[in-house]
Amino acid sequence: MSGLVPFLGRVYTLSSRVLWRASPGVSPLLRPLPTGLTCVFTVGKKDLTDLPALIEDELEEQFVRGSGPGGQATNKTSNCVVLKHVPTGIVVKCHQTRSVDTNRKRAREIMREKLDVAYKGDLSEVLVKKKESVQRKQEKRKKVNENLEKKRQFKEALATDSKPGNDTV
Amino acid sequence: MWRRSLRAARRCLGCRSPGPQGMCSSHAVRTCSAPALPAGRITALQAVELWRRHFEERGVTEPHLSSQYIVAHLLRAKTIQSLDQERLTEFLSREETEQVWKLCTRRLSRMPVQYVIEEWDFRELTLKMRPPVFIPRPETEELVELVLADLQRKSGAADAQHTCLEVGCGSGAISLSLLKSLPQLKAVALDQSQAAVDLTTENALRLRLQDRLQIHHVDVMTDPEAVLSLCGPVSLLVSNPPYLFSEDMASLEPEVSRFEDHAALDGGEDGLNVIKHILTLAPQILSDHGRVYMEVDPRHPPLIRRWVEVNVEELQYVETRLDITGRPRFCILQKATAETGPQAGSGLRN
Repeated sequence: MSGLVPFLGRVYTLSSRVLWRASPGVSPLLRPLPTGLTCVFTVGKKDLTDLPALIEDELEEQFVRGSGPGGQATNKTSNCVVLKHVPTGIVVKCHQTRSVDTNRKRAREIMREKLDVAYKGDLSEVLVKKKESVQRKQEKRKKVNENLEKKRQFKEALATDSKPGNDTV
Repeated sequence: MWRRSLRAARRCLGCRSPGPQGMCSSHAVRTCSAPALPAGRITALQAVELWRRHFEERGVTEPHLSSQYIVAHLLRAKTIQSLDQERLTEFLSREETEQVWKLCTRRLSRMPVQYVIEEWDFRELTLKMRPPVFIPRPETEELVELVLADLQRKSGAADAQHTCLEVGCGSGAISLSLLKSLPQLKAVALDQSQAAVDLTTENALRLRLQDRLQIHHVDVMTDPEAVLSLCGPVSLLVSNPPYLFSEDMASLEPEVSRFEDHAALDGGEDGLNVIKHILTLAPQILSDHGRVYMEVDPRHPPLIRRWVEVNVEELQYVETRLDITGRPRFCILQKATAETGPQAGSGLRN
């Protein structure tokens, strides 16, 4: 396998049982990727289509799968994916599901969101949407509290006042 | 009442005294001496921790993951991470605790987690699992991705009617995943094991994909003619055939050797016994330009390329792909037509 390294020119270090390799992405390595290299991962989240595209060449994926032969020879349930964006150093870890493939896709989704925040700061769609969502929740809570307060006052008025109709609530 | 049920639970968990040297017998859901049920109530998190330690002490691999997956499953979740703190710190009921003990005790015998909880995920699907039918590996998820990427690249692939043939379907993972992703696809799946045929059928029904999937009990090694009579020309043949070298069968971890069907693993002396039969059959079942996508042992690609050049004139080797760990893992071959010929385009991209 080490013979492939100079040929492919990729960063590839083996350390104990952890393997860092250039992300194979959707089209693994042995032939050149098509020009217009950008691999846009369009999984999920239809309303966040302005997220930065991922360039697989800039990603490194870590798989803690052991040094054995893999494939049919072993049955491991570890499926944690660690994805590193080399230019920014941003690392995403994903073990949300029991499927390695799904975790890889989700890691990329999350990476796109993190890159968006990193590149655009406060203008990031991700942050804007988060802010909006927080604001909506705050407004909702405010309304609920106001209603509760009104009810409380009304009950109080009923309890203390022996003459019905005297109170305006 | 708790103590009485303790003894009853022990009996119904089937505790037997371990055999010589404390080893459990193989191929049976017999238990090693199971730890006692707790006297008081415990939370899910405590159960996970308790069993993590038990597994560690008894040399069970992936102790933490094993206890996490089992407990999560009993709480009707797929991962412990998807459960909220509240649920994880609530006391388990007595029934839940006994269930945890029952399932974790199975894991003590090195039964794979997937067989213990009787299910596992493959890409976006949840599939039923049952010994000794082969458990899908993560590498094979990539095989499906390869097929999908190729089909989507071809012109008009979205609407095109394709039929695919899977040899050695096991639990049905590959065919069912392809069917799920491609509403226009029809599939034929074969396996030499009746248990595999039954399990694939069950999974197809659960996923409501049975209308587009035919499943047959056929052995391509002994009965290739049967395959030809089952379906017309197919545009793709996909397989994760038994590809281990016989000499490697001896060093398999207990999870694999004690519980999974050896016929689904052993590819013979050079691991190519089944693969050669599939590749010989391929040109007869594929339509023109139809492709073979196969998962193999990392040593196989150059061997397969050479063997096909000599022995299967109508099949040309297209390329080798690596898996997520960087090992050569997938072979793609294509049926040559009269124009393209057996020599054209071979050997350039590997």
